[in-house]
Amino acid sequence: MNRIVALWRDTRHLWVLLILVVGIGAVALMARARMVPESYGETGPYRARARDEIAAKPSVLIADATCLECHADVGEERAESLHKAVRCFHCHGVGHEHVALARKAAENPDLSVPPAAEWDGNFRTDIDLYVTEDRATCLACHQAVVGMPEDFKKINVAEHLENMGASETESRETCFECHAGHDTAP
Amino acid sequence: MVELEVIGGANGQCGGSSDPCESAGCQCDSAESDSRRQFLQQASTFALGAVSLTLFPVSVAEGEPAGGAGGGLGTDAQPPMYGFLVDTEKCIGSGKCLTACRVENDVPEGYQRTWVERYVHFKDGTVQVDLVPETGYAGSDQPPIDPEQVERAYFVPKLCNHCEDAPCNQVCPVHASFTSPEGFELIDTERCIGCAYCVQACPYGTRFINPDTGTADKCTWCYHRVMRDEDPACVEACPVGARLFGRVDDPDSEISQRIAAIPTSVLKAHLGTHPKTRYLGISDEVT
Amino acid sequence: MSEIPFVFPNDVHPPWSIMIVLYPYITGLVAGAFVVSALYHVFHREALKPVARLALVTSLCFCAFATLPLLLHLHRPERCFNVLVTPSVTSAIAGFGFIYSAYMLVLVVEVWLVFRPAIVEQANSLTGAKALFYRVLALGVTDITDRSRAIDSRLIRVLAIMGIPIACVLHGYVGFLFGAVKANPWWSTALMPVIFLISAIVSGIAALILLYQFISWRRGETADRECVGALARYLWMFLVLAASLEGLELLQMAYEAGGEWPILRALLTEHLAVSYGLVQVLIGSLVPLLLLLTSFTRRLPARLVMFSSGLASLLILVQVFAMRWNVVVGGQLFSKSFRGFVEFPLHWMSREGLLAAAVILTLPLAALWVAGKILPIWQPAEAGTLADAR
Repeated sequence: MNRIVALWRDTRHLWVLLILVVGIGAVALMARARMVPESYGETGPYRARARDEIAAKPSVLIADATCLECHADVGEERAESLHKAVRCFHCHGVGHEHVALARKAAENPDLSVPPAAEWDGNFRTDIDLYVTEDRATCLACHQAVVGMPEDFKKINVAEHLENMGASETESRETCFECHAGHDTAP
Repeated sequence: MVELEVIGGANGQCGGSSDPCESAGCQCDSAESDSRRQFLQQASTFALGAVSLTLFPVSVAEGEPAGGAGGGLGTDAQPPMYGFLVDTEKCIGSGKCLTACRVENDVPEGYQRTWVERYVHFKDGTVQVDLVPETGYAGSDQPPIDPEQVERAYFVPKLCNHCEDAPCNQVCPVHASFTSPEGFELIDTERCIGCAYCVQACPYGTRFINPDTGTADKCTWCYHRVMRDEDPACVEACPVGARLFGRVDDPDSEISQRIAAIPTSVLKAHLGTHPKTRYLGISDEVT
Repeated sequence: MSEIPFVFPNDVHPPWSIMIVLYPYITGLVAGAFVVSALYHVFHREALKPVARLALVTSLCFCAFATLPLLLHLHRPERCFNVLVTPSVTSAIAGFGFIYSAYMLVLVVEVWLVFRPAIVEQANSLTGAKALFYRVLALGVTDITDRSRAIDSRLIRVLAIMGIPIACVLHGYVGFLFGAVKANPWWSTALMPVIFLISAIVSGIAALILLYQFISWRRGETADRECVGALARYLWMFLVLAASLEGLELLQMAYEAGGEWPILRALLTEHLAVSYGLVQVLIGSLVPLLLLLTSFTRRLPARLVMFSSGLASLLILVQVFAMRWNVVVGGQLFSKSFRGFVEFPLHWMSREGLLAAAVILTLPLAALWVAGKILPIWQPAEAGTLADAR
């Protein structure tokens, strides 16, 4: 009996330490269990809700089909065009606000859809809706650049105008004087 | 269950005729229902596992069969569902995909989820690589290269490769980088601690720390669009069809047929990451 | 075929700052200092007795701040506990949380046991608030018997033995963190963990020589020549190992001359010429190797040995920092296009800036000073410790 008392006396500090360490460990484990996010591990070692959150993001880029819901005439015009692969937003901007307004206007006849603005010359088409007959719109794709495939139609404006016998070489609207916007026959 | 809603929703949309479902992007086929069944099986397995998750979440997570985070440590090889084919022979360097991606995914200035490189081999033997400006060359003030000096030149669009053995996923300490059941490499921005280890681990330079959120960011192959049967924004934006996205588990899809018919390659194949983004028409100078 | 530089667009923002240079530097000091204390507690190198306690407390002080550079680096530091809550077994960073916790526990317990007699003595001899403070430190147990002393000694030795592999894992894993990044040819080598480990020991011994000399000078005492000599000889040996491994790694890269060698050669010759060639190799390795030779002979005057050992230690501390710098920063200076280099941004005032780095390096020393006020770390280890352990 005395030996046990003696052993207790000599190792008391270690037992206190052990209880402390185990206690802290237990609290840490419990805290950790509480901190695991909901839906973690449901479909794999990750938070399953994250997938739904990413999937729920709205699509920003407007598909041509959306534009054609109202502008059916343009769709017909472009049906046989060499440019049917060209998307509406390439020349007219993303038009996100325009579509939202048009949707609202469809439900509420009092609302009017504001007309598109003139293209501001910005090549990045992340602004809303605009109309353009600027030659730069065509050159965004067709200006001859080193690296383009052989068979892609490259335009050197000066040469092209000379070949075609055009006079007004400085006009920004030169392309559209001969080529239509939507049904662009060569 | 949430997963059911997502899949169900996608299926429901598929039935609608108004959807501009391009030949490559359509999910209304037998492969879809197969993979869906497979997915549901997995989901129920995990649901059982989730019960024991309350106290020791790691033990379950570690034993995951479909984790895909394994890399060298052995993963359950699921055949890829989706693939991306970049046709460098078609790309004209218009830069339309760049703006589309930035607008679609709210990519901060100075960072790119996708970019387009131009490789120019000069007749004197030098190789010049540069970036297609976001406005295309026509909208930039970059001095043009004299075509007389050039032997050959071509454009190479770059984006996340969604590797089957993704090193970015392997190194993520908190499982914020994860593989969706459809095989997309995604980032949980609610869990990411912004350590940037994944940025270091990606051999392709596709990842970055988003300065607005402080979390890792990269191309998702527009997961949100694909889940509602739309093409990724860059694919939608390409005027010449240089970017092709679709189901590779469906032998009849356009992408499957093209990959089957023409030799394609992946970037830095020697690293064993097994990218699901494939390239047509590139040679070994492309890194 | 000559090439024109090209950098991937996202690579212009190097994601790891000077904080990630500090992190392996500090953990290296932790591991190195612990090895010195183990040389005394486990391998009974009597000559190291004057620094055994100092080594242990130094290790603890640096360990206490090892996470700080990481926290400052994280872009979402408030989420740091995610590493422990949903860890990924395949991530080296996730491993850190657990290895670090285990190591910290071993260190704290060992330090506590080593200083328990002193703590108990203070608790019993002081009064008021001070006594209460030491009572809390003693966990309320304020008596010591000969037998408890003997039990503690044995436990200290067990912990010191356990600590060696944990310290090696702690720092070896830091090397692994870089060595296992296959995307980066400057990092991806199996030698990386070994090099990190050996240079960690080098930095730890060097730091202890300097600390010991500085503290002895401040206390108006003379540092023990035997102790400094023994440390210097160990330092020489580990430095030879570290320098050889680093040299061999480079030699092999250059000799194999794989596909990525051109960019690595350009990195070494154009961007790391000063920090690698001059600082890491010449001033930081070759000069100390020569200086430390003075500790191998008894014929030289003590002052010269002390001076050359101290100077060598200082240079070595710079060298190891340069080595971490060359790995962490060097690996981010080239783009993964392997066709061009990027600028490494350095700021003074930002969260990850130079000032913050300097503060982080000072904090462990401040902690050491505070520890010196509380615990008798300058006193050599108790005479009884070794005898009991045997």
